Amino acid sequence: MSFKKIAAACALTLGMTATGALAEYPERPINMIIPYGAGGATDISARAIAEALTAAAGTPMVMSNVTGAGGATGSVAVQNAKGDGYTMLFARVGSHTVNPAMKATLPYTLDDFRFVTVYEINPVVCAVTPASGINSMDDLIAKAKDGGVSYSSSGVGSLLQLAAVMVLREFGIEDPLKATVHIPQKGGGEAATAVLNGTVTFICTNSSALAGFVSNGQLKPLLVTTPDRLEGFDAPTAAELGKPALEQLVGWTGIAGPASLPDDIAAKWGEWMATAVKDEKFLAVMDKAGSVINLMSPDEAKAFIEGQYQTFRKLVDDLGMRIEG
Amino acid sequence: MSFLDSLMLGLSMVANIESFLALGIGVAVGVIAGAIPGMSATMAVALTLPFTFALQPITGILLLLGVYKGGIFGGSIPAILIKTPGTPASSATVLDGYPLAEKGQAGKALGMALWASCTADLISNLALILFAGFLASFALNFGPPEFFTLMLFSLTIIAGVSGESLLRGALSAMLGLLLATVGLDLIYGTNRFTFGDANLMGGLNFIAVLIGLFAIPEIIAMVWNPKAFDGQKRAMGKSWVEFSEYRRCFKSIVRGSFIGVILGAIPGIGAAPSAFLSYSEARRTSPNKANFGKGELEGVAAAEAGNNGVAGATLIPLLALGIPGDVITAIIIGAFMIHGLQPGPMMFVINADIIYALFIGLIVSSVFLFFVGSVAIHGFKYVADIPRGVLFPSVLVLCIFGVFAVNNSIFDVGVMFAMGWVGYFMLRYRIPAAPFLIAFILGPLLEDNFRQAMLMSGSSPAILFRGPITWFFWTLTAITVFAIIRAGIRATRQHRALRTANQA
Amino acid sequence: MHDRTIQLQLGIGAIIAAAFLLLVAIPTWVSSPSNVPNIILSPLFWPWVLAGLTAITGLAMVLTSIREPRPAEPAISEIDDKPRAWGRLASIAAVMVVAMVLMPRIGMVWTAMLVFVATAYLVRTSHPKTALVSAVVIPLVLYAFFAHVAGVAIPQGDFVRLP
Repeated sequence: MSFKKIAAACALTLGMTATGALAEYPERPINMIIPYGAGGATDISARAIAEALTAAAGTPMVMSNVTGAGGATGSVAVQNAKGDGYTMLFARVGSHTVNPAMKATLPYTLDDFRFVTVYEINPVVCAVTPASGINSMDDLIAKAKDGGVSYSSSGVGSLLQLAAVMVLREFGIEDPLKATVHIPQKGGGEAATAVLNGTVTFICTNSSALAGFVSNGQLKPLLVTTPDRLEGFDAPTAAELGKPALEQLVGWTGIAGPASLPDDIAAKWGEWMATAVKDEKFLAVMDKAGSVINLMSPDEAKAFIEGQYQTFRKLVDDLGMRIEG
Repeated sequence: MSFLDSLMLGLSMVANIESFLALGIGVAVGVIAGAIPGMSATMAVALTLPFTFALQPITGILLLLGVYKGGIFGGSIPAILIKTPGTPASSATVLDGYPLAEKGQAGKALGMALWASCTADLISNLALILFAGFLASFALNFGPPEFFTLMLFSLTIIAGVSGESLLRGALSAMLGLLLATVGLDLIYGTNRFTFGDANLMGGLNFIAVLIGLFAIPEIIAMVWNPKAFDGQKRAMGKSWVEFSEYRRCFKSIVRGSFIGVILGAIPGIGAAPSAFLSYSEARRTSPNKANFGKGELEGVAAAEAGNNGVAGATLIPLLALGIPGDVITAIIIGAFMIHGLQPGPMMFVINADIIYALFIGLIVSSVFLFFVGSVAIHGFKYVADIPRGVLFPSVLVLCIFGVFAVNNSIFDVGVMFAMGWVGYFMLRYRIPAAPFLIAFILGPLLEDNFRQAMLMSGSSPAILFRGPITWFFWTLTAITVFAIIRAGIRATRQHRALRTANQA
Repeated sequence: MHDRTIQLQLGIGAIIAAAFLLLVAIPTWVSSPSNVPNIILSPLFWPWVLAGLTAITGLAMVLTSIREPRPAEPAISEIDDKPRAWGRLASIAAVMVVAMVLMPRIGMVWTAMLVFVATAYLVRTSHPKTALVSAVVIPLVLYAFFAHVAGVAIPQGDFVRLP
């Protein structure tokens, strides 16, 4: 018997046991993969909801950070997992809309996952140092037209990179890739540091990453992408500046399984999440991070992610930003 | 609020049972977690974080700091006993710690590691308290060009840990630099030696490489020749370090502590380079130079001082600027935020009492570390008495679990095995492993900062000479390289003269 | 093997590796976007530099090995049962490969037990009974610690799952 046949036989037996187990899902701990490192926005969000989810599901949720390649390593681990609902992913804007839009070589597409929900949305804030002398988006754009403006990101294919490009383009810089310089950093913390120490001119990232610097007066916010003004950030909204299109520029966290995840398991997750997001401790943590809780059904989540992906993909294609190698 | 008021308020916040309990438990958890390869200080801190949600802010943060400090010291225990650094920071400790254990002086090595750690910890905490403002503004002057020159200088450490042959050290470093290029390119996001595999896109996991390079070759070597290891039992030897030895190493410890303080204050370097730099400086200036790498107590002291000196100093950018220096401090910042505190210049004004409470807690933690560490050493030292026929298979199994736990990846276990063979090959061909490791850590920093600097300046190399910091490191690098070449030539001449004399 | 021979072999090895990198590995497995403004910014630049430096190191090693006088004693100590030693080396390599295959399938704990037994046998342990007991106990203890204290999802495999 060839290895393939054995594998097929194994898969078949497994398939049968899996169907047998379905009736009583979940019968054992669920492994939740966080594709980013400890201390990051995804990690904090995931660990904040873990306890409430455990209570709702009645089974332990084991949090596993699988980091690397801008979230790709962890995402692939779930893509290749069995669709039995025991391996799920905390999907994030970077790993599931920006990366697929930008990287041709990514080993997965959106179709490899089944989203059960998107539960958290973070607005994006663009900021500069007070020492830069830039006081508004107009100042920044004027300076960008003169040349010599740069921005940092947590790496190629991160929300930070795309956010900066999208903002610049909305504000009338025709080719942001030529007019400005992108200086990628190793991570979100390093990206913020780069603005502080003057390596780059500005940064656009999730409000939670900048809240501390803004309240300490180390950074000056220029723009927020929420429909209403954001507490703690003394900056105009995108709509106030006449660029409502930028409201699509938000970070989010959701939960996904492999594409083969059956309907009944997805439905169970819907119930759990509905209970979990009401948890007060979770809400308190999210509130401090400046996140908005917005629980979406699987279909809403899919439409939302697809919509954001299309926007980003169009921008990437228009500017020739897609990475082919 | 005056300084004294803040101090008294801070004191009243710390001087209660909960705070001391949190610190004590934190240090104990940290030491144990650090002693388990793969668990590392980072993971221990991440695991402790959820427990702090329910605590008072100051108690919770002291708990995390205790875990952090304990973890950095704890890593030296397996580094000395089983040649498996518990945390990357303790890889320099292996160089002399393990040979000492082989000689039956594990107790002495562990004791020295503890004394050096506590001393460095104290110095580092004092530096934080006295010079936080100054060092933080210094750290903010470090852009990519400054980083690049610092990394270039740090690469000269390789010469100090190359052992008998500089060329083999260089070869080892090349291998490390090349393997560090695996993964996605930072600037353009393109693939380098990834073969389309998502696991490789993230680069080779550092801890998998580290454990593979140190622990596994030892096991393979025993498989190759079991007799050489058989029956040889390593006793604990004289179980404690003497004060005269501590005094002898004191200069190296203080120097290592200051190296740690300076490198720790600059975000993004971490404890491992600091330990190596301190080690190579100690070796360069020590009268026992030839004994380094063969079981020199001063080497253990310098390495441990170097990595613990970082622990207090990483809090400088954290508290003064709100910038995390590494993953651990990133988690600790998360804890601050969850408790509604925003580290940064304003915190010194708004929450001065909390800052002083933390300072007092930190000083106390150095004392706790000393006592908890002593207990831990007495508990762990019996590992040295386990016969190798049982110890080595246990280490292998422990490494499998530990390496998996770092990133929840079976692939990393494979990386560890593969690196084990690379390490064994290097062992047989007498290529030193330490240069590989240093290059593996520093290589990506060197390349990334070089390219970031070039992006900043539009590819003009002039930016690499901006400001006094870059000039300082350029000069330092030039002097060191010159000294290495001179020493190399002299050594070759002496060597040859000796050989000819012997043959004649 | 003499120290000099080692140096020569390493030098030649380094030169071959550098050539392989420059001619095959870097062009095939390192990709660079077409719009890189300057060669020093290219993802290829650093690997090129490293390959070049490796070649120089290799050359230097070959040169020094030729100038090195022949030492009296061999640098690597030989052992008496060479064929069997090679056999053991091959076995431990096989153990590692098998472990990688088994780990996701039967679970890490059971694999670790097998690895323990195999390694203890290969190092000719002087305490076979202790080793056997440890082979069962240590993986279980590690599992209990990592899974229940540290909260790590240790691979369980498809057959016998531990609580």
